[in-house]
This record gives sequence, structure tokens and C-alpha cells, in this order.
Amino acid sequence: MRTVLTVVVILAALLAGQVAVAQEEMTKEQWQQEMSKLTSQQESLKAQLKTLQDEITAREGELSKLTGDYDRAMSEMYALVGASPEQAAAYRSEIEALKSKADELSRLSDADLVARTGEVEELAAKTNAMWENKLSLVPEFWDGLTAVNEQVKSLQNVLASQVKTYTVGTWSKDRDCLWNIAKKPTIYDNAWLWPKIWQGNRDQITDPDVIEPGQKLRIPQGNMLTDEEKSAARKYYSKKVTAAPVE
Amino acid sequence: MRQRIRTVTSTSVALLVMGSFLLAGCSSSPDEEQLTQLSDLKAEVDALGKEVSASAAKKAELDKQIADLTAKLQKAGVDMNTIKQRLAK
Repeated sequence: MRTVLTVVVILAALLAGQVAVAQEEMTKEQWQQEMSKLTSQQESLKAQLKTLQDEITAREGELSKLTGDYDRAMSEMYALVGASPEQAAAYRSEIEALKSKADELSRLSDADLVARTGEVEELAAKTNAMWENKLSLVPEFWDGLTAVNEQVKSLQNVLASQVKTYTVGTWSKDRDCLWNIAKKPTIYDNAWLWPKIWQGNRDQITDPDVIEPGQKLRIPQGNMLTDEEKSAARKYYSKKVTAAPVE
Repeated sequence: MRQRIRTVTSTSVALLVMGSFLLAGCSSSPDEEQLTQLSDLKAEVDALGKEVSASAAKKAELDKQIADLTAKLQKAGVDMNTIKQRLAK
């Protein structure tokens, strides 16, 4: 009796397990439905892909045509000012270099900018020279140069506000020499600072004993000589001693 | 009584065995090949979906390039007129 009951229980358990597995597994009907759904998606995606590929091909053709048209238009534009695209590219690089220099100088403190006055002047001269080229008439370059010009003007304004100037008078009337100019209370009130004026005006004074009436001299700020100015003064005095006639 | 129990038990066993065979025979699961077919189709649909997305992105990028170039071309025309006016001065 017990054996029979055990067999019945085992068979019942097997049957229950089989029912559970059958419920978890996909039926053929479900498989068929899933296949139909996926096939439909596949067809739809294939159609979308075909349309997209056709559109891409059409756009690639359009882009290629536009690129050609644009290159021709640019060549034609540069030809108006007698330049080639290569010359225009070189000109563009030059403007970028000027812009970069102007940016660098604009970041300096006022005092550092005064020390690099020469570079501002050089930048202004180069910018002016760039305007001489007909390529400057091309709006892209015109705008670029205008922007650099504005930066240069701003730098020059800073320098003008930092550096006093003095216009040299005549010897007979004003007794103007670098020594006497430095001695003036409105300048340094200290004649020994004359090398400051000399070094601040190296572009227009080659011999510190010779200045011309009407010369507009920059008066650098400060009440002490820099090492460079001291060195220049020492060289000047040593040259004077060597050149002095022996009695 | 004993005879009755034996009959009930035998009938139960017979019913269980029959039920088991019936269940096994009536279940209509897809075979291995059909399941592979389904899995392959799923993979293909996924790949197609990705391809469609990539192509749509490429098309959008091309549209942007065309719009940019068209604008640049129009500007080139305006610039040429400006240059001509400046040259005339």
C-alpha cells in the first residue's frame, strides 16, 4: 500500500513539473506571432534604410556641387583684388599673427606695456602696412584688420596715458639738453636721470649730446635709473673720458 | 475495502500516467531550429535598427554641412559686391 502511494506521489510531482515547464516555454503560436512581428519590423527597417541611403547619396552629390561652387566663388573673389587663394591664406595667417601679438600686449600691465613700447609701434606699423595690400578690401580681412587696429589704438592710448612727452626747445632760448631737461621740476627734478630720457627715446636719439629743437621726447616714468640705463650712462661717460684730449 | 483501495489506487496511477502522456503529446513548443531562426531574426532587426540610426545621423550631418555651405556661398556673393564697391572708391 505504501509503495503504491509513493508511486502515485512521484507521478503527481512529475506531472506538476511538466505542466510548469509547458507554461514557461514558448508555444508554436507565440513563436509564429513573434516571427511575424519581427519580419514586419525587418521589412519596415529595410525600407527606411533604403530611403535614407538614397537621401544620403543625393545630399552627398549636392554637397559636392556646393563645395565646387564655393571654391570657384572664393577664387573669383580673390581674383577681384589680384590675389590667389594661397596668397589669401598667407594674408589670413599674417592677420592672425598680428591679432595674437595684440592680444599678448593687451594682457600686459601698463608698466610692462611701457617697457615694450617698441613692440606696440612695430605692431602699428605692420598693421598699417597690411592695409596697403588690396586683400584688405576682402570683408573677412577688412574686419580682422579693423579689430587689430582697434586693439593697437587702445594700446597706444594706454601708452600715451603712461608716458609724458616733452618737446625740445632751442638751446639759445631754452638751454635744452638731456641733462637740463631731466633737471626741470616738471620732468624729474634730477639731472642725473637724463639717461632715462635717452634710453626711452633710442629710436630718435643716437648721440645723447645731440637733440634737435621740435623733437618730441617721451619721458619714461620713475625716479631711479634701471640697470640698462645705468649701463648706457657708464658707456657714455667712459667714451667721453677716452675721447677727451690729453693736455 | 482493500479491494476498493486497490481499485482507486490503480485508477489514479492510470490517470496520472495518461495525463502525463497527454500533456507531453499535446505541448506544441517550437523546435531548436525555429528558435535559432527567431534569435537570428531578432539580431538582424537589432542590427538594422542601429544602421538606420547611423544613417539618419549621417543625413543630419550632411544637411548641416549643406546649410553652412549655402550660407557661406551667399555671403561670398555679398562680399564680392562689397569688394567691387570698395574698389570703385
